[in-house]
Amino acid sequence: MKLDAATSAGDIPEGLLEPALTVGKVTPGSLDDQVLAFPETKPPRRWYIALAITLTAALIGVVSIGYTFYLGIGAWGNTSPVFWAFDIINFVFWVGIGHAGTLISAILFLFRKRWRNAIARFAEAMTIFAVICAVIFPLIHVGRPWLAYWLFPYPNQRALWTNFRSPLLWDVFAVNTYFSVSLMFWYLGLIPDIASMRDRTTSKLRKLLYTVLAMGWRGAAAHWQHYEKAYLLLAGLATGLVLSVHSVVSFDFATSVVPGWHMTIFPPYFVAGAIFAGFAMVVMVLVVVRETMELKNLITDRHLDVMNKVILAMSCIMGYSYLMEGFTAWYSMNEYLHHGFMNIITGTYGWAGWVTISCNILIPQILWFKKARASYFWMILVAIGVTIGMWFERFVIIVISLHQDFLPSAWRIYKPTIVDFGVLLGTFGIFFTLVLLFARVLPVIATTEVKAILPDAQPSHHGDDHHA
Amino acid sequence: MPEITSASGTGAMPETAFAAEGAPMSDRSFSVLGVFETPDALMKAIPKVRAAKLGTVEAYTPYAIHGIEEALGLRKSPLGGMVLVMGIIGALTALGFQYWISAIDYPIITGGKGAGSWEAFIPIMFEVTVLFATFTAGLGMLHLLNKLPFFGHPVLSSKSIKGITRDRYVLAVEAEDEAFDSAGAAMALRAAGAIEVEALPAPDRSPFLTSDNILRALGGIFVACLVAGLAMYFATKWFPLLKPMANMQDQPRLNAQKPSSFFKDGHGMQQPVAGTVARGHLPTATGTQDEAASLVNPLPRTKEVFALGKKVYTNRCEVCHGAVGTGVGSLTAAYGAKPANLQAQQFLDYPDGKIYWAVVNGKNAMPSHAPYLSEQERWAVVHYVRALQRAQNAKDEDLKVATR
Repeated sequence: MKLDAATSAGDIPEGLLEPALTVGKVTPGSLDDQVLAFPETKPPRRWYIALAITLTAALIGVVSIGYTFYLGIGAWGNTSPVFWAFDIINFVFWVGIGHAGTLISAILFLFRKRWRNAIARFAEAMTIFAVICAVIFPLIHVGRPWLAYWLFPYPNQRALWTNFRSPLLWDVFAVNTYFSVSLMFWYLGLIPDIASMRDRTTSKLRKLLYTVLAMGWRGAAAHWQHYEKAYLLLAGLATGLVLSVHSVVSFDFATSVVPGWHMTIFPPYFVAGAIFAGFAMVVMVLVVVRETMELKNLITDRHLDVMNKVILAMSCIMGYSYLMEGFTAWYSMNEYLHHGFMNIITGTYGWAGWVTISCNILIPQILWFKKARASYFWMILVAIGVTIGMWFERFVIIVISLHQDFLPSAWRIYKPTIVDFGVLLGTFGIFFTLVLLFARVLPVIATTEVKAILPDAQPSHHGDDHHA
Repeated sequence: MPEITSASGTGAMPETAFAAEGAPMSDRSFSVLGVFETPDALMKAIPKVRAAKLGTVEAYTPYAIHGIEEALGLRKSPLGGMVLVMGIIGALTALGFQYWISAIDYPIITGGKGAGSWEAFIPIMFEVTVLFATFTAGLGMLHLLNKLPFFGHPVLSSKSIKGITRDRYVLAVEAEDEAFDSAGAAMALRAAGAIEVEALPAPDRSPFLTSDNILRALGGIFVACLVAGLAMYFATKWFPLLKPMANMQDQPRLNAQKPSSFFKDGHGMQQPVAGTVARGHLPTATGTQDEAASLVNPLPRTKEVFALGKKVYTNRCEVCHGAVGTGVGSLTAAYGAKPANLQAQQFLDYPDGKIYWAVVNGKNAMPSHAPYLSEQERWAVVHYVRALQRAQNAKDEDLKVATR
């Protein structure tokens, strides 16, 4: 990457120099042989077993969604006053998972964090898959999903337009934009890698597939120049976008008057939570990937260490946010806010509140220890904990706030049905199925980007007049 | 394919030696490629090859090499300006679209804000700005600037392409006109240190699947969509009877003042079949009161039955017959009638069936209560009347029973 060369050895004090980004001897050729050859090998038995499991889960989801279409939303536990429940919890959860990918690919790129190059591809892919899982939920929650196109402002015979003052419509635009931009970002990054695979594969089918996908990329310097510029611009745009998407999702709640939702802290709180949950998922998947695909020399211990530090920092931000929620409730001197907050820690669903606090705030504190950041056991424990905790956080926000609103006669305890759980399981199945397929078909590491940061990858003599 | 390869990487081969290899260069060569092993070697070669002024000098590399654009004298990428302009257009499009819809075409007041208040349009303006800018950056780079997809470029079918996308750095001298000196270019590349030289013939036909053709097709689809959308909008606006998607508008149903298409006689509401009995409304005792005297109360004397009877009595009977059945109800004075005193000896002697008959058929001024009461409620109220009578005429034994 052009920008990365700014950190040339001459102008940085010794102590601040980044340690090597790879372990052992890695050359451009060996990198290709390691990463790009992988999709051409025969998948091992355990891959098929994993795929069978995830496909089963996905099938359960498809059946659950089909049953929902057949019976209607009544198949779920949603009922007055909890009209938003699993569907919106899962939507927010999955959109959030996606945010880590954009953060790694865009924000860390702008910050010249070169370690991102090795993990950006996988994280971006997870973004795409997570957003695919996320959009399922609003679609099936509208009740008649075959009319979901009514969400878009298009000229119609009813002479009606959408309401542009509704945060739910903002969501339509934000999530669609997010998906399009993530896909574009991911695909642009893939083009040079696919070109490499096109030129090394021996299978005719793969050759055809990669030829079409690579669009005739030939690595011309003039092309690289525009490509680098486009990548930089996309990173800048995606950075603003990723901050806006979860902010807009939080507007769904913050612009309403429900106690526990109507708070100004929601947008930053949601964005931090999204990155938090997303990093946990990335760590979880990357640990499996680097072990099973033998990528320890590229996804190094240092990568895991740095990502665990990000999780720790985000955990502290989440802790601050929870405290601020309590503070806002207390400082407002508003009995509805008091009641709403006390519900989180002492109400019927108080256990969910405590699951959230322990999984998101208490367990990740172990990452203060360097040994924990280097131990699979602890980092997986924390990652699973954070995934569970962040799911329950959305449960706390949505269900606890809704089940006791301003009208006590309407209060009701919400109970999910088995169909709710089926759809949730199904999206996990879809997500991991896509992850497994991705790992077998496309390069899981952005080889082009890693090549550019290997030692001696850049000419040594031109720097004087270049980076002023 | 005319092709020159050299085993030596020194590049100091004289012209005669090159010619002696006997590769006849096509007079319509497209370019000559020189392969280098390191980016340093490539960068050092660029000024030398450019100085020879044999044609356009282009480099092919596996990743972006820093500083190569200056070395090759490439024009600065105009992408930034394009993205800025399209981003601004995106913002204005979103603002204009939302304003036209929300304030002009379909003005609606939401949350007490004026139809034209623009503050709520900002989130969507931001998203559309990013969308326009992203697609400009991505597609503008691919299609407009790099002219991709393009599968017909000679380099793609060269021997060197495997190295280009892997770990080799290639410098190409590309023909600018018919007078391209491919032998000279090969010489210059070798002199600059290329370890291998490959000449590429000019493609004999121009490929069809070029980015320009693809762009034209995409543009055609876009225009077609635009025309179709506008046509649809105005067609449905000007000819409202057109119903392209009449999902639930045509339903077979009974319209007022119109015959039903479902029943043969054209009536929407049909008479029930003769002898139909509504649920819970079995035919009740008819005939005379004396004939009903033999009917036996089917209900047991339980708390629930008495509670039901009390409820029925309170709702339906008490207003005339009074709270304890003495015939002094709150309506009596206003009504001017004389309801029966159920505590009178005549009624104490009545069998249950006769009371039941009176409830069902009414008596004197009392109307029939059959329509309002179920069979169970009728018998329950009979039990309750019996209880009232016994309470008003209680004996000592009754007291014992009650306090037991």
